[in-house]
Amino acid sequence: MEQKTMADMQSKTATTESTNRGPIAMQLRDVAVSFHGRTAVRDCSFDVAKNKVTSLIGPSGSGKTTLLRALNRLHDLTPGAKVSGQILLEGVDTYRGDLTVTELRTRVGMVFQRPNPFPTMSIYDNAVSGLRFNGVKKKALLDEAAESSLRSAALWDSVSTRLKVAASNLSGGEQQRLCIARALALDPEVLLMDEPTSALDPIATLRIEELMTSLKSRVTVIIVTHNMQQAARISDDCAFLLMGEDRAGELIEFDTTEKIFNNPIDPRTLDYTLGRFG
Amino acid sequence: MTQVPTDLRKHEEVVAEFGSATTSRTWYFYVLLAAAVLFLLVSIGFVGTIFWSSLPTWLHGGLSLLTGKGWTAPNGPFGGLAMIAGTIETSLIALAIAVLIGLGTSIAIVFYIPRRLRNIVATLVELLAAVPSIVYGLWGLLVLAPWMATTVNPWLNKLPFATTIFGNPGQEFGTSLLLASIVLGIMIIPTFVAISREVIAVVPQDLIEACLSLGATRWQVIREVVLPTAKVGLYGATFLSLARATGETVAVAMVAGGVANMQFHLLYPGTSIASWIALQFGESTSKEVAALMALGVLLMLLNFGLSLISRSLVNRQRKLLATV
Amino acid sequence: MIELEQPVEAGHEMRAEIRRISNRTRARRVATSRVMVLLCAVALTLAAVPLALLIYQLLKNGVPVLNKAFFTTVPSTPTLIAPNATGGVSNAIVGSIALNIYASVLAIPVGVFVGIYLAETESKLATTLRTIAQTMAGAPSILMGLFAFSFVVHDLKIGFSALAGSFALAVLMLPVIILSSEIAVRNVPATLREAGLALGAKPHKVSMRVVLPSALTGIVTGAILALSRAVGETAPVLLVIGGGFTNTWGLLNPVSALPLSIFENAKSPWPSQRAQVWGVALVLVAFIFLVSLTARIWASRKQQVRN
Repeated sequence: MEQKTMADMQSKTATTESTNRGPIAMQLRDVAVSFHGRTAVRDCSFDVAKNKVTSLIGPSGSGKTTLLRALNRLHDLTPGAKVSGQILLEGVDTYRGDLTVTELRTRVGMVFQRPNPFPTMSIYDNAVSGLRFNGVKKKALLDEAAESSLRSAALWDSVSTRLKVAASNLSGGEQQRLCIARALALDPEVLLMDEPTSALDPIATLRIEELMTSLKSRVTVIIVTHNMQQAARISDDCAFLLMGEDRAGELIEFDTTEKIFNNPIDPRTLDYTLGRFG
Repeated sequence: MTQVPTDLRKHEEVVAEFGSATTSRTWYFYVLLAAAVLFLLVSIGFVGTIFWSSLPTWLHGGLSLLTGKGWTAPNGPFGGLAMIAGTIETSLIALAIAVLIGLGTSIAIVFYIPRRLRNIVATLVELLAAVPSIVYGLWGLLVLAPWMATTVNPWLNKLPFATTIFGNPGQEFGTSLLLASIVLGIMIIPTFVAISREVIAVVPQDLIEACLSLGATRWQVIREVVLPTAKVGLYGATFLSLARATGETVAVAMVAGGVANMQFHLLYPGTSIASWIALQFGESTSKEVAALMALGVLLMLLNFGLSLISRSLVNRQRKLLATV
Repeated sequence: MIELEQPVEAGHEMRAEIRRISNRTRARRVATSRVMVLLCAVALTLAAVPLALLIYQLLKNGVPVLNKAFFTTVPSTPTLIAPNATGGVSNAIVGSIALNIYASVLAIPVGVFVGIYLAETESKLATTLRTIAQTMAGAPSILMGLFAFSFVVHDLKIGFSALAGSFALAVLMLPVIILSSEIAVRNVPATLREAGLALGAKPHKVSMRVVLPSALTGIVTGAILALSRAVGETAPVLLVIGGGFTNTWGLLNPVSALPLSIFENAKSPWPSQRAQVWGVALVLVAFIFLVSLTARIWASRKQQVRN
């Protein structure tokens, strides 16, 4: 018991230390998500540094995805879902502040686990779909944005000659990159990625990991991954979550990746990174 | 509305691997086979008998049934053009009503009604479908028709272009092609809702989430992603509703006015293929019976054709979603 | 690490413009979304209103007419001296009961067996029969009346009779029962069948002893729903049962039926007869609603128990 309390204190200390991270894109303060009264994840407090990759790691069921989806208010769709605490984007409370949910989502984009390009749209239409939803009609603007975002997703070279082709003709990895392009077209400040490579083969995975590293300069990336090695490879900061006895996930430790993997404070973090439990 | 069982594939796998009641030649197999053959015979008889009984009309008049404007009992000539025109007119207007109201209803049920209420609302719409045709006809005849005659028709006739669209029948009757179209439209709403609801509800959730994550409003999600993805199935729902509308007999018979006039004015009485058969059959001679059977053949072809198109569209929609 | 294919700073103006347009159009887009929600709610109301109005009229006009005489006496024709002497509709009640019992006897066993056949067989015949059943299930019911007239009344020379009417209703019910029975059998979890087969039982015995009892609820529900639909059908019986004013139920006699009595009397010049028609309609609708709801609730309870 005492050990746990010590670890608690130490993880809070770790959070305070993170204020030396430089410019901050998003801040989480005591964020908890519950469904119909049952807590799914709680006590999440950390700062997401700008233009860095922050990963949320932990075994399955630890609430990583639930936490991620709170960041672009996807839980608004779920009846019975309640998000408490504060999530700040550039200092503005995303739930109770002056920010409409639609505007929030243009600034915080999302890429999902399984590639999900819109099936009835071509590659071009998929890439600019976000723009169209937001009222952009000028063809010149759409064309420019399409090329820019497809280049950013390292997809332009292979699709520039067949932009009007249906998106379903692409391979899994290409479809996922199309989804990334689609999200990037709106020039978001933050890009949320929910296990973006878990449905892809190793080569496609590698290419997307390279992509994420190069995207850092443009967006802040927050990625959920159950693949520790991936987290170690690409992320700058790491948040480790674990499911507690009451089946609610909680944040155990948050720190730089280097520290989490080489010298974590909490023994549970060490256990996880050493692969002692999945 | 029939539902597709979710472990259909597994059922087939088990049957393919181990066999079923029909793999070995037991008495049970023969009972099942006999029933199947009996059904086959009945269905062949169904189509064949009506066709056979209609032969005299086709042989005597050729295709004049399709082009003739007047229906002269008891011996002919029998022209079905007025019925065909009436069927087309009432069915299309009814379809427009049903699709407009039905699509909005389906969207409301799937996206806006909270889950707890969803079953109750859906049951209410299904109850609409359970009301027999004759009760709709009765309601249309005794309640709506007088209301149309006293309130609606005079108002309609004041609108611009009234005479072209509505005609000006002078006598305020109430029963008319317009009333038939409205009653028909109400009757086929549940058919459209049943299919469109299912088709809309199975659009994958992650497409909806992806769309929302791009900053789209709820309506944009529905218009730009859900409806286009469900498009083929929605066409299937449309064709099935049209098929049902063309086959409705008794309600139309009671409120359309039952007059075989070849005209398009909505406020005039008219008829449809199915309702004409019902109304004329009672006191008809054998020649007229044959002509009515011929109308039946027409109705059968129309209905089977629309039904076939609808089913192939719904199947195509199902296959489409399996690949997404 | 790959290099970005385009420098970050270029396109800054484009991004600013996109953000400007996005913010400018947001209010309008959100407002449109709200309007469309409203329209959909209106559509839902429009769909529900006719039903509400109809039920109101049924109750308002039908209830006053329902008395003991309504159910137990045969109809009579009003005269100028006795304009309210309509009698009752016992002939139609008896006729409807008879017609539907005969039709069920004809349609349910055959329909259930064909449904089982379709669920258990993967042959060309099965696929063809399924398509036929789906087509016939959506066919206009007046065609069944034409079929019965041609075959039973005319060819078999039986004339207008309960048999002809039952035949028409049976042909109407048959495809519906086939389809619902097939689905009921297919919905039995395949693991149940596997378990029976794994115990070494022969496939047809497994089908009879294991799968069928499990599918029974669905089969019965489907048959009941088909029956409730047949009770209200006018067109198939209109042409072939002949009508009549007595409480007959013999197979070879002309009979009356509830929908027929509505059809005949709706246009009556006598207000008392028109009023009585509402009572018949109320009885019909009440019966169908009750049967449908009960069947569905019973089926879902059994489903819950199984789960």
